[in-house]
Amino acid sequence: MKRLVSKLLLLTVSCAGMINPGFAQDQAPATAPALEEVICFESRKGASEVTKIDLQPGWPNVKCSTKTGAVLWWGDPFDGTVPMGDMPLLPNVPGKVVVKPRSAKMNLLPMCGTACHNGVGPQFNPPTLPKDKKPKPIPTMEAMFPDAKNFQHGRGRIWCLDCHHTTQRSKFVDNFGDPISFDQPQLLCGKCHGDKLRDWRDGIHGKRIGEWASTGKKRWFVCTECHNPHNVQDGVRNKGFIQLEPETPPQLPRGMKDAKHELLHGVAH
Amino acid sequence: MAPEKIPNVAPAEDLACESPAQAASADPSGPDMTTSRRDFMKAGGMLSVSSLLGVGSLITMSEDANAAVEWAEHFQGNYRLMTQQEKAEARARLERRYSAEYGKRVVVDGTEAQEGVLMGYALNIRKCIGCRRCVKACVAENNQSRGPRPGESIEWIQVLRMERGGFAEEKMNHGYPEGLGIQVGGNAYTPAGQVLEGQYYYEPELVPEKDATYMPIACMQCEKPPCVKVCPVRTTYREPDGVVVIDYNWCIGCRMCMGACPYWARRLNVANPVLPKEEMNPVTHYLGNRPRMRGVVEKCHWCMQRSRQGRYPACVEVCPVGARKFGNLLDPESEVSLILARKNVFRLKAEMNTFPKFFYFYD
Repeated sequence: MKRLVSKLLLLTVSCAGMINPGFAQDQAPATAPALEEVICFESRKGASEVTKIDLQPGWPNVKCSTKTGAVLWWGDPFDGTVPMGDMPLLPNVPGKVVVKPRSAKMNLLPMCGTACHNGVGPQFNPPTLPKDKKPKPIPTMEAMFPDAKNFQHGRGRIWCLDCHHTTQRSKFVDNFGDPISFDQPQLLCGKCHGDKLRDWRDGIHGKRIGEWASTGKKRWFVCTECHNPHNVQDGVRNKGFIQLEPETPPQLPRGMKDAKHELLHGVAH
Repeated sequence: MAPEKIPNVAPAEDLACESPAQAASADPSGPDMTTSRRDFMKAGGMLSVSSLLGVGSLITMSEDANAAVEWAEHFQGNYRLMTQQEKAEARARLERRYSAEYGKRVVVDGTEAQEGVLMGYALNIRKCIGCRRCVKACVAENNQSRGPRPGESIEWIQVLRMERGGFAEEKMNHGYPEGLGIQVGGNAYTPAGQVLEGQYYYEPELVPEKDATYMPIACMQCEKPPCVKVCPVRTTYREPDGVVVIDYNWCIGCRMCMGACPYWARRLNVANPVLPKEEMNPVTHYLGNRPRMRGVVEKCHWCMQRSRQGRYPACVEVCPVGARKFGNLLDPESEVSLILARKNVFRLKAEMNTFPKFFYFYD
């Protein structure tokens, strides 16, 4: 049973699962020389891309690493953000908590946002909604998200519609079957990862940029901006955060040919 | 700092600060003379001769505004002992010089420490993946030298890669030393668990590596900083909000502080700093990221030009795993205070009694 679930699981993974890195990586080259447009990624590849522009003459919105294409520096931390919305147990601080909306990610292809992931539901007649909790392969989704076949989350104990809403394909689902916005995945993830949610709420887990004062305005990075929920059990390092390319090492001191000297020439005991 | 804050600073030209002596561009070694105090002392003999000629005659010889700025700069005092007026003049001088040198409007901020703030930092050592983005973000923000030749590349953050060691069966019979001598177990000299020696030059294709943990190290902003104790000219000191700063103009480059620091946090500009115009960050602080000269020591100052304006330091913002946390230690609701209250926290080399305000934690 478990095996069957994980095999079939993939296919229903929706366009909404755009967070899928394999696909998005192809979409986001570090540089597009033809347009001389620099596109960098923020926390992890595939989650949020930024096009480099000048906010003011000589003041870019981001500075990017030439080696990895990662954003190294934000000229304006609140560029393109929206208020996060209500969250349980979070003191209501209007305008102080902002996130970058992820809805644009829904329109991977024009038809995704109109046909199924339109916030309403599949408009096929009759709508092909799942009758039970047994995943069925959808060839379209399977072709678009080959990585979905390797679904690594929950070790075979969860399936698509535990997180994605049945009829509103551009929403997540909470314990009562009500939709959750894609901008607030913490309300979904916190259903199981309560300890992480608590630390994230207090600023201990996860990333924030902006003002450091506890009452200051901050852009919070939400769960899916750092973690790929379809691939949190990364096989190589299994730490939740996928491996990435490091920046260049520092300059070696004058005269040192490589950094292995002390490893090769043991120190006398 | 938000970009709209740039134009708020008064134009440098508004501050009429030159005394006659300062206006005189009596620089006998020519316009190429560098800005370092050491060079100035070398040229001291010639300068004293020229000063004997009389300031008045020198004023008339003034043709280079840049040189005039430097002349005044050489006679400015220790920043801590300056009056507010003198500080403002010193910053205006620098703004003029930097703006000309880098071809853009450079702001040299002088914002003082805020009341009721003691800055603190926490780093989740379990989360760090060793990607070095903090290192590069620091360089982009803080105007470090970035040339290709030896000594021209300066980075304030070091990321140490710590190997995970273990016991091995094949070493069981490797006694030490052979023959006579005190016999020890064969695994005596192999690291077990996480070793405390790290190396910083790792270059794998992907991080984190399987058998490694990573430990970033930079200035710990000690409450009892040994570097401040040893500085013979007292140019490095602790600010009221806890950050240990350097007045680069007063630094003589003796490197006493580098020897005293147990955290390898300080860097000397051995060569003339290489800072391309287009990469230069024009938002600077006098005690922070303003461009340095050859022969002075520099180090992390928790991005004073940002943190004094309320913004997170650059390394905190860039960390892709959110391992770096920054805030006010006196505010019980701040991120660092909550970490100190809830998590397992340690200070690096706590036995040195330097009392860092940089905490490592894990969960």
